[in-house]
Amino acid sequence: MSAVMTEQNIYATQFSEIAGRLPGRGLAWVDRLRKTAVERFLDLGLPTTRLEDWKFTNVAPIRRLTFRPVNQVNASIPQPLRSQLDLFPSPRLVFVDGLLDRKLSGLAFGTTPPFAEERANGTPPNLGGEFLGLHLAGLSDSLADPNQAAILESHLGRYAETSDRAFAAWNTGFFADGACVMISPGTILTHPVHLVFISTGAGEPRATYPRNLILAGERSQVAVAEVFLSASGGVYLTNAVTEIVAGAGATIDYYKMECESAGGFHVATVKATLDRDASLTSHSISFGAALARNDLRVALDGEGSQCTLNGLFVVDGQRLVDNHTEIDHRKPHATSRELYKGVLAGHAQGVFNGAIIVRKDAQKTDALQRSRNLLLSENAQINTKPQLEIRADDVRCAHGATIGQIDRESMFYLKSRGLDERAARQILIRGFAAEIIEGIRVSSIRQQSEIRLGEWFEGKLEAS
Amino acid sequence: MLRIRNLCASIDGKQILRGLNLDVNAGEVHAIMGPNGSGKSTFAQVLAGRDIYGVTADDLTFEGRNLLEMPAELRARNGLFLAFQYPVEIPGVSNLYFLRSAVNAVRAHRGLPELDAVDFLSVARTHAQKLGLDDAMLKRSVNQGFSGGEKKRNEILQMMMLEPRLAILDESDSGLDIDALKIVADGINAMRHPERAIILVTHYQRLLNYIAPDRVHVLIGGSIVRSGTKELALELEQRGYSWLEQPAGVEA
Ligand SMILES: Nc1ncnc2c1ncn2[C@@H]1O[C@H](COP(=O)(O)OP(=O)(O)OP(=O)(O)O)[C@@H](O)[C@H]1O
Ligand SMILES: [Mg+2]
Repeated sequence: MSAVMTEQNIYATQFSEIAGRLPGRGLAWVDRLRKTAVERFLDLGLPTTRLEDWKFTNVAPIRRLTFRPVNQVNASIPQPLRSQLDLFPSPRLVFVDGLLDRKLSGLAFGTTPPFAEERANGTPPNLGGEFLGLHLAGLSDSLADPNQAAILESHLGRYAETSDRAFAAWNTGFFADGACVMISPGTILTHPVHLVFISTGAGEPRATYPRNLILAGERSQVAVAEVFLSASGGVYLTNAVTEIVAGAGATIDYYKMECESAGGFHVATVKATLDRDASLTSHSISFGAALARNDLRVALDGEGSQCTLNGLFVVDGQRLVDNHTEIDHRKPHATSRELYKGVLAGHAQGVFNGAIIVRKDAQKTDALQRSRNLLLSENAQINTKPQLEIRADDVRCAHGATIGQIDRESMFYLKSRGLDERAARQILIRGFAAEIIEGIRVSSIRQQSEIRLGEWFEGKLEAS
Repeated sequence: MLRIRNLCASIDGKQILRGLNLDVNAGEVHAIMGPNGSGKSTFAQVLAGRDIYGVTADDLTFEGRNLLEMPAELRARNGLFLAFQYPVEIPGVSNLYFLRSAVNAVRAHRGLPELDAVDFLSVARTHAQKLGLDDAMLKRSVNQGFSGGEKKRNEILQMMMLEPRLAILDESDSGLDIDALKIVADGINAMRHPERAIILVTHYQRLLNYIAPDRVHVLIGGSIVRSGTKELALELEQRGYSWLEQPAGVEA
C-alpha cells in the first residue's frame, strides 16, 4: 500500500512541476484532457498482476524506479546510430528522448535529412507544412499552431481509452511531444512516413511519453512506421500512445519496430479506428526489453472494414515481450486476420493475448487468429491465449495457437548438407520469421528487421 | 572407400539393422533392394549420421575415417551425401539460399573460397535446367509444395551442386513419371566418376536399366542376405524376395 502511495505521490508532484510548460498549456481542452487523465492515472495506479490484462507481466520493476520527465536533451547520438538513421529516409520525424529533433527530421520525399554539421548554411528544415497531401509535424508544434490545434481538438485523446488503462492515462497527462501525421482525402502517399524514437538512456532513469496521431483521410493510402531505438542501453521508460484514424476507404500500412535495450521499459498503446471499407495492415516487430508491452487495439467501426495484424517477437536473455491485441468487430461484414509469431530463447518470456470481440450487430464477421511460437530453450516461456467474445450469431471466427521446438528432422536435413548446428538453427529460425518479414512492404523496415535478426543471432542485442 | 562390418542400429528398443556388412570402392555403383520395412532407409540415414538411432559397428569407415565419431555435418563436408526418400520441407527458406549455404559450408571445409552469388546462380541454373527445374523452383521455399517428383529432382540437384564422393540415393526413382525417371537417371549417370561411389536404394529394376550397377545387394530383416551382379536384380524382379532365406531369428 505504501509503495503505491509513494508512486502516486511522486508522479502527482512531478505533474504539478511540469504541467505549466507542457505543450498545449492554456488551451482549455488540452488542460482538461491532461487533468482528467492524470487524476485517472493516480486513481488507478500502475497495474498489478491481479488484473487479468496484466496477469503474466509484472510491472513491479517500473514501480520500483522513479522516472524523471525530459525537459531538454543533452546527450548526443552516437555515430553508429546516426548511420542507422540513414536507413529511414524522409519524410521522417526523429525524436530524441521524446522531443522532436528538427535537425534529424525532414519532409522532402525520399531523401535522407542532412545532419546538423553537414547542413549547408543552416537551411531550415522543411517541417510542419503540407507537402503533396501530407501534413507532418511535431505534436508540440501543431498544438502551438491555432489551425492545427483546432483539428487536434476533435481527435487527440478521443480514441485511446484512459478510464481503465493506467499507462495510456499517464501518457495523456504527461506527453511532451510526438508526431502528427495527417493525409488529406484521396492522397496516395508514395513514400512511407518514418517516426523514429531514440532513447539515449543517459543519466538517471527517464521517462518519455511519445504521443502520436495518424489521421488518414477518406480514400487516402499511407504507410507509417514507428521505430523505437536505444542509443546506448541504460534504464528508461518509453510510454507511448498512438491513435490512428482511418477515414472511409482509407488504406493504412502501419509498422512498429521495437528495438529497446535490455534494461529499457517499453509500454505502448496503439488504438486504431476504421471507418467504412477502410483497411489497416499492421506489422509489429518486437525484440523485447526488460519489459516490453505492445497493446494494439483495432475498432472495426465501419461496414466492410478490414484489418490484418501481423507480429513477430524475438527475445532472449532475460527479456520480456507482451503482445496484447484486441480486434473489436463493431459493424457487419468486417474481416480480421491475425498472425503473431514468437521466437523465445534463454530465459525470455513472451505473451500473446489476442482478444476478438464481435458485437451483436456485427453479422457476417470473418475473423481468423493464429499464434505460432518457437521455444529455443527450456527456460524460455510463452503464454498464448485467445480471448473471444462473440455476441453475433452469423460469424466465422477461428483461432489456433501452437508452441513448438526446432524440428529435429529439419535439423538433420540441413546438417546432412554440411551445415552445423548453429547455421542450421539460424536457417530454420529465419524461415520461421520469414512469414512475417516477407509481408513487410516498406523496405527500410524489412531490412531493419533482417539486420536486427542477424544481430540477434550474433548475441549483440544482449549486450545493448 | 566405405567399409562396413557388423553394423547394428536400433531405436526405442527395436533393432532394425542386424549385423550389416558391405564394401564399396571408388568408381562403383551399388544397388540395395529389399522389401518394405527391411531397413534400407534406416541404413541410409545411419550412414548420413542421423542421431536418433543407437548405432554400433565393428567397423564403419569412410575413406579411412571412423564415421561413428563424425557428426552428420562433418560427414557431409567430407563428401557423403544422402538423397532422402522423403525430403523435408523448410518453409520460409528459399531453395537457392539453402543450396548456397550448403555449398559454401562444404567449400569452406575444403579450403575453397565462397562462391559469389552470381557464379553460384549460374551453376545452379545450369544443373536445375538439366533436371527440368525452372527458376521459380529455385526461388520457392525448400521442397514446400513440391510434387513428389519435384522433391526427388531437387535432391539430385543438391547432389550435383555438392559433388559428393559417396552418394546414397534413397528411392530417388520412386514417384517419378517415365520422363522424369530418365532425367534423374541421366543426372545420376553424369555423376559417375572413378573417384565417386554411388549407392542406389531402389525397389525397381527400371532404374537399373538406365544405371547399370556393379553390385546388387538384397537387404532383408536388417542385414544383407544376398549379393550379386546386376542379373540378381532381374531375378528379384521375376521371383520377388520370398525365395531368399531370412537370417536366423528374424520373422518375415
Ligand atoms: N524413427 C523410428 N521409430 C520407430 N521405428 C522406426 C523408425 N525408423 C524406422 N523404423 C522402423 O524400422 C523398420 C525399417 O524402416 P525403414 O524405413 O528403414 O525401411 P525401408 O526398408 O526403407 O522401407 P521402405 O521400402 O518402405 O522405404 C520399419 O519397421 C520402421 O517402422
Ligand atoms: Mg525406405
